[in-house]
Amino acid sequence: MFRLFFTPGWFNEFDLLFKGIGLLVALLIAAYSWKFYRIDKDNKFAYFSLAFVFVSLSLGISIFTSGVLNFFPLRETVAQVLSPITGEGLRFSELFYRAAFFVEMASMLGAWLLIFLISQKPRDRLKRYFELSQIGLFVYLVLLISWVANFKYVVFYLTSLVLLSLIVLNYYKNYLNKNKNKNAFSVMSAFFLIMAGNLFLVFVFLHSSLYAAGQLLMLSGSLLLLRTYRRVVRG
Amino acid sequence: MGARRSRLELVFDVLLSIQNKGGKIKPTHLMYKSNLSHKLLNSYLEELIQKELVVIEEEIVKKKKRPAKVVKITDKGLAFLAEFRRMREFTDAFGL
Repeated sequence: MFRLFFTPGWFNEFDLLFKGIGLLVALLIAAYSWKFYRIDKDNKFAYFSLAFVFVSLSLGISIFTSGVLNFFPLRETVAQVLSPITGEGLRFSELFYRAAFFVEMASMLGAWLLIFLISQKPRDRLKRYFELSQIGLFVYLVLLISWVANFKYVVFYLTSLVLLSLIVLNYYKNYLNKNKNKNAFSVMSAFFLIMAGNLFLVFVFLHSSLYAAGQLLMLSGSLLLLRTYRRVVRG
Repeated sequence: MGARRSRLELVFDVLLSIQNKGGKIKPTHLMYKSNLSHKLLNSYLEELIQKELVVIEEEIVKKKKRPAKVVKITDKGLAFLAEFRRMREFTDAFGL
């Protein structure tokens, strides 16, 4: 069976739990941003919501593929359900997993890219057509990278790392521009933790426990985003 | 020079001016406080009344001893103010 990411055996359950928490946080932020889009009709809220929908889609697919790969009863059930698509005995399983990993990576990279563009651009610039053409070019690159990463997973983590570093830099500028607002600091720190998590994942080939450390850092980032979200909602 | 206020920000400024005056204000004072022309303020007030964010009532003014119009913020208007503050905090926190 085709595998792209290698989770240490003892970490399988934690992996699903951590990603499940991340998925919920991403959905909460996406829904909240969408609510503001409905009030203000400003595209920045819609793009931001879409970015977090992409994050949750990526995590959802990751939970699904990890669950199928690592848990025997679930694997058997999925094999039966998917047999019309994947063939008897999962003949096309490699193709199926490659497709799932491709969507997982493309949506995560797409999300980071959108957040980077939104956090960088001044107001209203995303409404213009040339910005959309720029997004189109970036989408092409994201799809290309996701395809290449299907053969060499480190490309995915490296690209994530680069995009997240740029996001952290934008949020640092935002923190300074907003008179050192504590929520802006929390968001910057959360993305810093997610970036640090990706850095660990780049070097997972050295030792598999680096995967657990990376995921733990990413979970901390998600929880910090959740804390900021709660503070904003409570007002 | 400050950036041009969006429609939503103008609505927020109008409602905030009313809230800062204890929940009711004379239309003339509102015009100065929210920094809007008479024509523009009237068009915004019409919209706010339609959306039940404010109401216009008549009150007896002690000095003149005759009824005068006042703009009052409703509970829905106060809820809108709270929601707008949350939106601004969200925008600031996430650099939107």
